Amino acid sequence: MSREKAQKQFEDDRKEAVHIASRLLLASGTTSPRVGGVGECTMHILEDECTIEELCQEIEKMAAEKESWDFFKKDAAALRDADAIMLVTSLRSLTDPSDINCNLCGYLTCDYMRKADKLERVPGVAYTGPLCAFRATNISYAVGGIVGQARQLGIDHGIFWSAGAAAMRMGILPRNTGFALAVGISVTEKSPFRDVPPRSDEINERTMNDRIIRRLWPQFRSIYS
Amino acid sequence: MEKIEMGELIAGGLARALELMAVAAYTAIKFGDRNTIKMAAMGSDELETISEFCFSLGDMSPLAARDGRALQSMVKEPFAMLVIGDTRKSDLNYNCGACGYSTCAELNRAEMVEALTSNGPFCMFKAINLHMAANAAAAAAWRLGLQCRVFGTFGFAAKAMESMPDIDTAVAVAVSAAKNDPFFDRHKYWTNDYWDEIFRKEFPTFVRGFIGAVEE
Repeated sequence: MSREKAQKQFEDDRKEAVHIASRLLLASGTTSPRVGGVGECTMHILEDECTIEELCQEIEKMAAEKESWDFFKKDAAALRDADAIMLVTSLRSLTDPSDINCNLCGYLTCDYMRKADKLERVPGVAYTGPLCAFRATNISYAVGGIVGQARQLGIDHGIFWSAGAAAMRMGILPRNTGFALAVGISVTEKSPFRDVPPRSDEINERTMNDRIIRRLWPQFRSIYS
Repeated sequence: MEKIEMGELIAGGLARALELMAVAAYTAIKFGDRNTIKMAAMGSDELETISEFCFSLGDMSPLAARDGRALQSMVKEPFAMLVIGDTRKSDLNYNCGACGYSTCAELNRAEMVEALTSNGPFCMFKAINLHMAANAAAAAAWRLGLQCRVFGTFGFAAKAMESMPDIDTAVAVAVSAAKNDPFFDRHKYWTNDYWDEIFRKEFPTFVRGFIGAVEE
């Protein structure tokens, strides 16, 4: 094996490790507890760099909609460095209250909650609530299962609700998804999700490359023309 | 070191496991870096109160009645319950809309609706933080080899009986070191007749005939 091939083999094996790990995390997320044992959470794995980039651009669009969503830009910068993104959904929280009458939504009974007006799908609204909180908290156990297995396997992970909301905007999740979260996973020497420096959305490798290109482009253009 | 009998070993191990579960729940991953959950281990008096309350729901909630009946049997073996609760208002400033209000300020200004089970409207991300903690506690118990289950019924009962003050909802993580796993079969308290009756009442679509058939 040549030296260059050995390096490429390492990169290919690392991507293969992400592929295998994401499936194992999906398994652990599936077998974690659910209310009533009802399987109303789905998990979707994004591994393609282009799909992840599209999701990150959607996150950045949402960051511009509200001042309180300004941290979405840092989320997008972190997720661009993720090797895979696992989107976890809660399918029945939007349309099907759990008939428990637990009053977490504040409407006392599930019949009142069904008749309540939902928020409109407009910019500045991430989830069109009120959602059935009893259903939506199933997602805690799914994400908890993913995180627990990620810790066991030694996979770097981070939870982002901005990516879940952006995925709902993009329409890549099942129909009638009421709530979604995302877990980014990474198999690199430095976790992109922990201990990131301040202004990591403005100062990172990609923005530095963009600045270099913008600064040097006139010289390149003059040479080529 | 003095000799320790098996019963004392089991009881002591269960108590220490409960502490480890509480630590796991406390350090579980949460949104917004907020650690606002409250935890308490229920004593014998609280367990008896919770059991009687659940059983008293009877026809209103057959599942809660069944759990209350089961709890009366589970306390005869080494058993412990960790109750995790939280308050409903949000200081996360996510403004996500999941609770039905566009901003967190609107949610916090909204009038509280009280109920026996929970007080609402509840911040969705705080509810998720609460259940993340419950999942971490259950996972820790499972790794320690204990019999374990997360209960919404006992959590609501603990809130209703004010076993923990100043919380708006709660969830309970029950652990056991019994001779047989008490959570493996929770249907043994129902006779066949009672099961048929409850099944017909709770799942009518399974026993109903064709569309338009005359109901007896």
